[in-house]
Amino acid sequence: MASLINDLEIQGTQSTPVVTSDWSRGCLQMEGNSYPENSFEFFSGIFSWIERYLDEGAEPLCLELALIYMNTSSVKAMMDIFDLMEEAHGRGREVRVRWYFDPRNERVMEMAEEFREDYTFSFDILPREG
Amino acid sequence: MAAAHQEPAMSAGDPDLLDRVRRVLEDPVHRENPLLPLLAELHHYAGVQDQRMERLLRIADGYQFLQHEQSLTLAERCEKQLRRTEKLARISDRYQRELLELTESLREAANKDPLTGLANRRYLMERIRDEIQRARRQGSALGICIMDVDHFKQINDRFGHETGDQALCRIAAVVQDSVRSYDVYGRWGGEEFLLILPQTATEEALGVIQRVRSCINGIHVPQGKAAGMLLSASFGLTTLRAGEEDPDILLKRADQALFRAKDAGRNRVEQG
Repeated sequence: MASLINDLEIQGTQSTPVVTSDWSRGCLQMEGNSYPENSFEFFSGIFSWIERYLDEGAEPLCLELALIYMNTSSVKAMMDIFDLMEEAHGRGREVRVRWYFDPRNERVMEMAEEFREDYTFSFDILPREG
Repeated sequence: MAAAHQEPAMSAGDPDLLDRVRRVLEDPVHRENPLLPLLAELHHYAGVQDQRMERLLRIADGYQFLQHEQSLTLAERCEKQLRRTEKLARISDRYQRELLELTESLREAANKDPLTGLANRRYLMERIRDEIQRARRQGSALGICIMDVDHFKQINDRFGHETGDQALCRIAAVVQDSVRSYDVYGRWGGEEFLLILPQTATEEALGVIQRVRSCINGIHVPQGKAAGMLLSASFGLTTLRAGEEDPDILLKRADQALFRAKDAGRNRVEQG
């Protein structure tokens, strides 16, 4: 099955994060700023990758994030993704988020904490140098 | 309450009434009664109506239940959506606030000299342009003065760069205290400072600059038990002339005046 799946490999720009996925490891990474001109378009590929991964397999999903600045529609898109994971978690699926932040920028940590509210799956906010 | 409510005895829904009528119909005593067929028809009709009424009530109750359920889930969904929207706005507001603060600190970094906290060359250059335009519009005077700390290299060489930096900070504080509230001033670079004196003609400008000069000449740079050093600065002052627009021409004139002040023995103001 894994061979049929196109993994994501989106180059980062100033306004969009780097996105990579690894179906075999059940892992999706996003890193950078996010204020794309068309958030819906940008996130739809990411959203459907996660949706398919959750629908088609039973393996755990890990979302690794190092997002810095996000515009409103990106915040909404991330909430949609977390909602999807919360649903899967409710059905007994193992899902987790690891949100990395630069310890020199504690604001990012506070922001991640705001996101984490209301979710019951494992949601770690971790400092990472560099 | 509904359970305690008694149906009126005449209701078609009263099974007892229908039962009694049925018994009358079946009783052979009434077989020849001419009203018998009519009563039989009425009895049948009442029975059918009774069943229909029951069905109607059941269906209506069902709909009511469904409606109730739906409005409950609708309220829940609405509540959830509202919480989500609030969260979205909260996070988004935070990002926006952070961005504003970042813009503010960038603006400050872009316009401020980090050592003395005064305006930097970039900011001063912008302001010279603005003030020239304003003076031209209003036909008012404008003074520009470049100030250079005398023998600053010696301070650095003799007492070290840290002492040199401290001296620059004290000079900055003295300039700040001795100019007028509407004067614009800042660090032009190295040990050079620039003063922009809006709506100020030569005579008045000389007064302001002499005051600054004399205050700086009161700064003593101490050096442990050694004698230390009394600071001084030289000044090149110029004013905007009719038809002038290019800040570089004014700055060049002020610079030339400054050179003359240095040549003439320092700790003085020269005009150009």
